[in-house]
Amino acid sequence: MVSILLAASQSSNPILPASGEIIWSVLSFFVLMAILAKVAFPPISKMLKDRSEKIRGDIEAAERARNEAELDRAKAEAQLAEARHESTRLMDEARKTAEVIKADLVKRAEVEVVEMRQRAEEALDAERQRLVYELRGDIADLALDLAEKILQEQLDRSSFDPLIASFLAESEASSK
Amino acid sequence: MSIFGAVNFPPIGEVLNWKPFFLGGSALAFNKVTLTAVLATAITFVLFYTAGKKKALVPTGVQNVVEAGVDFITNSIVLDIMGPDGLVWLPYLCGLFFFVLINNLFEVVPVFQMPSTARMGVTLPLAITVWVTFIVVGIKKQGFASYFKHSVVPSGVPGALLILLVPLEILSTFFVRPFALAIRLFGNMLAGHLLLITFAALSEAMFAKSISLVLLPLPFAMLTVLTGYEIFVSALQAFIFTILTAVYIGESMAGSH
Repeated sequence: MVSILLAASQSSNPILPASGEIIWSVLSFFVLMAILAKVAFPPISKMLKDRSEKIRGDIEAAERARNEAELDRAKAEAQLAEARHESTRLMDEARKTAEVIKADLVKRAEVEVVEMRQRAEEALDAERQRLVYELRGDIADLALDLAEKILQEQLDRSSFDPLIASFLAESEASSK
Repeated sequence: MSIFGAVNFPPIGEVLNWKPFFLGGSALAFNKVTLTAVLATAITFVLFYTAGKKKALVPTGVQNVVEAGVDFITNSIVLDIMGPDGLVWLPYLCGLFFFVLINNLFEVVPVFQMPSTARMGVTLPLAITVWVTFIVVGIKKQGFASYFKHSVVPSGVPGALLILLVPLEILSTFFVRPFALAIRLFGNMLAGHLLLITFAALSEAMFAKSISLVLLPLPFAMLTVLTGYEIFVSALQAFIFTILTAVYIGESMAGSH
């Protein structure tokens, strides 16, 4: 075997493999495979795996964050829509309340006007009544003054009061 | 004397059979080719070890180079060809790729200027390692009889044709594959090496004969272009060697035909 290897190592044909080259290349390759498998490759493999997992984790976290943001946005939109709806409802309600209040105020004002008018009419009637009484007294005094002048004598004014009252009542009744 | 008469093209044995540095005359003779193989091992280990130690979240420098390589082999070779089950072979395929690539790249490294893969002494053992690996994987995954049956008997072929096809499949799978793998890499790297030597020798001859200095840019430009091309070939051949290894192991895992 050694003689064959020696013969190969001294081969004159440049194409044929030389034993030294075979042995050293096989040795190199097997040593490389052994140290790669045991020492050099596992850290790289682990690092690539860790990085892949980190990237996957980051992508998943980003996806979760995006979904949460989407949910928050949908929630905010729903709240906004609800707020808009509520504000519309409140405005409608306020408008209705204002209309009711307005109608009530108008009604109360109308009632008040009627009452004021009634009170004014009553006051006018009372005043007129008072004036009529005053006028009636004045007319009786004037009539008695006129009668004293015609008769040239002093009359007992109290004895004529029933007559004057009766006359004025009749004239008032006839004037109505 | 013609220009070509002045070309000092070294004999083929001189550019391939390197004198031993030590252990000369023994079976362990250590020469430039074995030195590049050992250096390729050391460089691959240092690259992976340095990259593994950095552990930066955003890779730079060596870590970036190694991770890009590992990522490329994972996605373009392992997952594409072998599927997720093939990930157990990732360290082996990464080591193989970087070992072959760095050995190839010594072709354009000054002082060395010799790819160890331009020697059958390097490519043949690598191919035999792959050959042993895919046969062992096939036997382990499918069982001895099943593996050999699946490997040499194509399914859906009429019985009469099997007489012709079975010997062809035996020849193709168990004999041609390792030699094709070894010779493809060896031939490509040897051809590139000889091309570079040819244009370097031509440039030297032009330079030596001052009258031909006007022609010197032509072979020198060709030498420069070929150097760039050989870097591309180095990467391509490492990729082809690795992808074929993945195909063979993948077939053994899944059961071919």
